[in-house]
Amino acid sequence: MNQEPKRGHFAKEKGEVVLREHEFDGIQEYDQKLPNWWLFTFFGAVVWFVVYWALYYHTDTFKSAHQLVKEEIVAIQQAKAAELEKTLAALNDKVLVHEWAAKPEVVAAGEATYLQVCSACHAADLSATMVAGTVKVPLPGLPLNDGQWKFGGRPMDVFKMINEGSPADSTGNNGVKMQPKGGANLTSKQVAEVTAFLIAKLPEDFKDIPAE
Amino acid sequence: MTTTITYDDKSVRHFMIASIIWGIVGMLVGVIIATQLSWWQMNGKFLEWITFGALKAEGISYLTFGRLRPLHTNAVIFAFVGNMMFAGVYYSTQRLCKARTASDLLSKIHFWGWQLIIVAAAITLPAGFTRGKEYAELIWPINIAVVLMWVVFAVNFFWTLAKRNEPSLYVALWFYIATIVTVAMLYIVNHLSIPTSLVHSYPIFGGLQDGLVQWWYGHNAVAFFLTTPILGIMYYFLPKAANRPVYSYRLSIIHFWSLVFIYIWAGPHHLLNTDLPRWLQMLGMLFSLMLWAPSWGGMLNGLLTLRGAWDKLRTDPVIKFFAAGVTFYGMATFEGPLLSIRSVNALSHYTDWTIGHVHSGALGWNGFMAAGMFYWLAPRLWKTKLWSTALANMHFWVGTVGILIYVAAMWCAGIMQGLMLNQMAEGGTTLKYEFMETLESIQVFYILRSIGGTLYLLGFILLAVNIWQTARSGAAQDDSVEVTLLERKQKDRMSWGESIFNDPLGHIFLAMAFVILWFFLPPHADKAALVISIVLGYKVWTAFKSNKEQWTNWHERLVENYLPFTVLVFVSVAIGGAVQIIPSLIVNREKNIEGRLQELYTPLELAGRDIYVNEGCYNCHSQMIRTLVPEVMRYGRPGVADDYSHLGESLFDHPYQWGSKRTGPDLAREGGPIADGSTHMRLGKRGNDWHFNHFLNPRQVTPGSNMPSYPWLFEKETDVKSLPARIAAQVRIGVPWLPLNQHEIRDMVETQAQEIAANLVKAEVYLPSKPDLQGDALRNHLAKSQVVALIAYMQKLGSYREVGDGTRGPIPLDPDTHRRTTADKPAPATTRN
Repeated sequence: MNQEPKRGHFAKEKGEVVLREHEFDGIQEYDQKLPNWWLFTFFGAVVWFVVYWALYYHTDTFKSAHQLVKEEIVAIQQAKAAELEKTLAALNDKVLVHEWAAKPEVVAAGEATYLQVCSACHAADLSATMVAGTVKVPLPGLPLNDGQWKFGGRPMDVFKMINEGSPADSTGNNGVKMQPKGGANLTSKQVAEVTAFLIAKLPEDFKDIPAE
Repeated sequence: MTTTITYDDKSVRHFMIASIIWGIVGMLVGVIIATQLSWWQMNGKFLEWITFGALKAEGISYLTFGRLRPLHTNAVIFAFVGNMMFAGVYYSTQRLCKARTASDLLSKIHFWGWQLIIVAAAITLPAGFTRGKEYAELIWPINIAVVLMWVVFAVNFFWTLAKRNEPSLYVALWFYIATIVTVAMLYIVNHLSIPTSLVHSYPIFGGLQDGLVQWWYGHNAVAFFLTTPILGIMYYFLPKAANRPVYSYRLSIIHFWSLVFIYIWAGPHHLLNTDLPRWLQMLGMLFSLMLWAPSWGGMLNGLLTLRGAWDKLRTDPVIKFFAAGVTFYGMATFEGPLLSIRSVNALSHYTDWTIGHVHSGALGWNGFMAAGMFYWLAPRLWKTKLWSTALANMHFWVGTVGILIYVAAMWCAGIMQGLMLNQMAEGGTTLKYEFMETLESIQVFYILRSIGGTLYLLGFILLAVNIWQTARSGAAQDDSVEVTLLERKQKDRMSWGESIFNDPLGHIFLAMAFVILWFFLPPHADKAALVISIVLGYKVWTAFKSNKEQWTNWHERLVENYLPFTVLVFVSVAIGGAVQIIPSLIVNREKNIEGRLQELYTPLELAGRDIYVNEGCYNCHSQMIRTLVPEVMRYGRPGVADDYSHLGESLFDHPYQWGSKRTGPDLAREGGPIADGSTHMRLGKRGNDWHFNHFLNPRQVTPGSNMPSYPWLFEKETDVKSLPARIAAQVRIGVPWLPLNQHEIRDMVETQAQEIAANLVKAEVYLPSKPDLQGDALRNHLAKSQVVALIAYMQKLGSYREVGDGTRGPIPLDPDTHRRTTADKPAPATTRN
């Protein structure tokens, strides 16, 4: 390798790179011109700083984050309400029991959702208990397999309970109310699927819903 | 007059050995906590297996992720890189000054003091003594020791500069000066606290102000502890090893000043998309983008210095490590500005992408620069040859593969989890994935990360062996050189007037003053300030063009005068922090809060909060719902459109707990209103028994969770005795507690704890460690236990009341209130149900 100072790309002074006179503990320094692309990057970022700040603070080009979030959430809430209305229009006790709960794929989807969202409080086996070491201890939710439906045992009551959570005037289980699941995690279709899963799992509780 | 001097290389050897030892410790802890994310048993249960059951534990408090992660970060930053930096600084400064370090005594005090601090940190952090702020966890007595040791270092360093036999300061020294001055400023401000006991204190800043100060510090700890000193080391050791001249002196000047000036402003990019005032977010993001070029200036000066020496890459492991280290620096400093863009940050923040970014800098830049320097130093410090070049090459490849696996795994994990968390389900009205699903899907990357980290650690152990053998094969010997002594009057002759009142500075400061006025002036005046600053900016440019020689000469003279140089560095780094923090301290206070204002804690909730902080929960859980749709949908309450975390909601939190990483979900809305029939007990999203079971064994309620079990919370008693002192300290830092005497505090704690405990007993909770406790006995046991205090805190999170009537006018020093778009109309009031 040639150890002589090479001609730098950016050297203009007499066409040669300047090697500074002074040495520090044997370290020498060239004085190459700054690469143009580097300068453009730097100045470009500075210009963008001015442009972006001016656009945000001196014009109406951008909405604030708060405004954007609120608008979008409101739009989603409206879409949800419309979706719920559509689901409810096609849903009743009979349809839930004899159509939704009769389809294995619907029940399977409901079960998957149940295990993901509901089982932490109601247990995978619907008993709302868990085994801690050697004893069975209750979970925060109410048991679903005890034949009792505190807020109504018709399929649509169950749907409503999952969708809207504990009624506003209820005292909750030991003070804790169930959060609405339809408003947050689940679409109304998924709520119906979970309802169908419960119906399929607890046929005794829903056997008096006539097919016709 | 010439004389022979001997350099103090003993201190260099000491710091280097300490760095290697602490490096191994810090990286080992890193590997352990990495495995904890894949296997919860690594939080203590594994001891049961390796002792064949002699030691029974579901979890060991000292070994949980929340306590060990601060130990890992502090160890690798302050112990590994700290000692490495000191070794490099002491070695190169003496040679660049042609003078022995000013005081051997101070060097000794510095070395042993620093090691004692590290030992103290290694004991207190696992014990759960912490300030609860990232990389600033150490308790206040250790903080004072750190400041003292830093002063010792500074005195020793500047004293050496004063005694130098070299008229001009080499660029490496500029970076060392910037390091010493800035770290002192950052460390002191971010550690201002009011002690409540020997091991506990509250930071004087709260809420967003604490967050702002924290990341001003945290980001610039990266800048001025992990970057500038290493750049200085690069400027000395890399041209030495390559035996080539530094690429460009003028690039050194430009990138040095732009780097130290701009870096300081970038802190708020850690708080993007939160409710932090937008102007701070704008500064954080835009200065981060401007930082790209200055950072790459350092990379260019490193890599291009290797021109003509690339052949050495084949033979010299030192050059290998330096070339790779500088390349990783370039990669990390490209990724940094990218992650600072608000829309990119919306995806990346709180995910592992950030962790990957940090490690490409820490492992690639810091670790490899350290390795290169050690391999270069060892033969010279022990006057021998490197024991094994082959082993060093092996280290290089094992380490490189380790980094690549690590970083790639974190990219995949971070981007994938970010995308999953933001993914809307079909129909666009709900989110597709539950948090647990996203965590489960990145498990494979967590395992890969542990493998990458282990490889890197193995490589570093090879270094330790190599250096050890090299030292054994040689003999420690200090270098002696003949130097020409410099008379006092031959150096540092610039007067203060000349150094401060001069053409370049006058021009630049005037233009900068108008830029700052542009941020803060009311409408129209701000635009005028912008126009003036553009004109002045142009004036700076033309003045520089026509007086190039004069400006250059001034700088040439400035670097021959270490004190004026230091003062100017301090001024450049102080501006950014002052412009961001001081207005926030004035504006973002209770009297200006519109909308939501935090409900104060009860004494029991405060005790619970302190447990939350001590257990390091903030290492995995955030308390900050960002102003992003998927976050409001996931963590906000149904039906509340503006349910992101508002600034007022955490105003009285000392320290703030917004977090920086979500290994678990956000907790900002866990709490709820006071339960019917209770005086203090609140109930939120989940019941007390859910929290009880969850702390006892998270997997009982959330299958697949990687959170540690916290069995000791059920045995240890809540520290009620110290509450009066803690509350008194909070009053002194401005938290508006009602006047309470110690009896009232005790009574409030007792009432609330009994309410929660009674609620738990009613829910038939089961405590496996005390299966015989029933009824009142169980209630009384639980009421005293830490878990009840922690549950009280969980049920309190996110409680606020509405304040203000929404008619707030513009506030001076708050650009956001001056903004007149429709977007800034106050939010409609929402109520807490």
